[in-house]
Amino acid sequence: MKGDMNRMVKFGVILGAICLTATLVLAATYEFTKPKIDAQLKTEEQTALKEIMPEADSFIEDSLGKIDYFKALKGKDLVGYCIKVTGTGYNGYIRIIAGIDTAGVIKGVKVLEHYETPGLGARIDEIKTGEKEPHFLRQFTGKPAKEIFVKENIDAITGATISSAAVTNAIRDTVSEFLSKIKK
Amino acid sequence: MKLLGEFIKGLWRENPTFRIVLGLCPTLAVSTSVVNGIGMGVAATFVLVGSNIFVSLIRNIVPDKVRIPCFIVVIATFVTIADLFMKAYTPTLSRSLGMFVPLIVVNCIVLGRAEAFSSKEPPLKCIFDALGMGLGFTWALMLISAIREISGNGTIMGIYVSKSFEPPLFMILAPGALLTIGLLIGAINYFTAKRNR
Repeated sequence: MKGDMNRMVKFGVILGAICLTATLVLAATYEFTKPKIDAQLKTEEQTALKEIMPEADSFIEDSLGKIDYFKALKGKDLVGYCIKVTGTGYNGYIRIIAGIDTAGVIKGVKVLEHYETPGLGARIDEIKTGEKEPHFLRQFTGKPAKEIFVKENIDAITGATISSAAVTNAIRDTVSEFLSKIKK
Repeated sequence: MKLLGEFIKGLWRENPTFRIVLGLCPTLAVSTSVVNGIGMGVAATFVLVGSNIFVSLIRNIVPDKVRIPCFIVVIATFVTIADLFMKAYTPTLSRSLGMFVPLIVVNCIVLGRAEAFSSKEPPLKCIFDALGMGLGFTWALMLISAIREISGNGTIMGIYVSKSFEPPLFMILAPGALLTIGLLIGAINYFTAKRNR
């Protein structure tokens, strides 16, 4: 009995030591790569903004309560808003930027980051060969942000209802909240 | 000479994709373009070399009964390092490989080498074994993805080869992967059998 006990403790200690070393190594790598990754995300965000709102020439970052958004300006005129939306998908969060004009109609949607299943949920930002923009996200363009619903005016991706609904609901809820707040 | 043998065997005789037929999940999934194939191959080679060295170094202190969790921790560490570095320095590649970089953790080539080779052999030999296996995996991926990219998309490394035909889309979809790998393994088996006769 005592021998078993000792052995168990020994196993635990060895496994623990290996895990501790791994943690330290990963923490160091994370700290080292974090500024680079953040900078990459910033550039990606800027490119996404320009794609969603091609007519705007400058974007000013702002926040309203918990919602982060960008004011899209052309010269000094406000042409719309780009709102950062985070949805909860099948495998984790989905980071989206949704662009709306001043009347609340969607101008464009872009998925920045997601962890959905390859081949199923990952098709939310799949671009079919020969096309320029993702077929799923294209559906949002031109629809009032408050009135988008999966299976009503948004076709879900086959086999990926959760991911499709996650994107749609997140955009609708966040943008509706944003619009009701900005009007006050 | 012995070390060179450990390196060479992964390229052909014990090629992980064509001969041992391991790691098919990432092979099927990422071989849609040559760039993806090379990226995946290089990332997997990095993980193989790193984890093989460490598994070999700790092989005498790790008790047999907890060896698998220990190996997996080592492998997962290297995969995360590779993933973070790819995110920081090659964001486009990291985006197109997506979930498959973190999934190298469960790539059976990596755990297979840890279990079958580096848990029994000294580090130097393991480096050569890992390099051979990694390069074997990489060239297999390159071959499969080149066939699929040319036939399914009409391009190689993103450059148009010919616009004279409408490429059959199914070649870069899942069926194309299964067909290509199946036919390649079949052809390799046929010629090996013929030569041995």
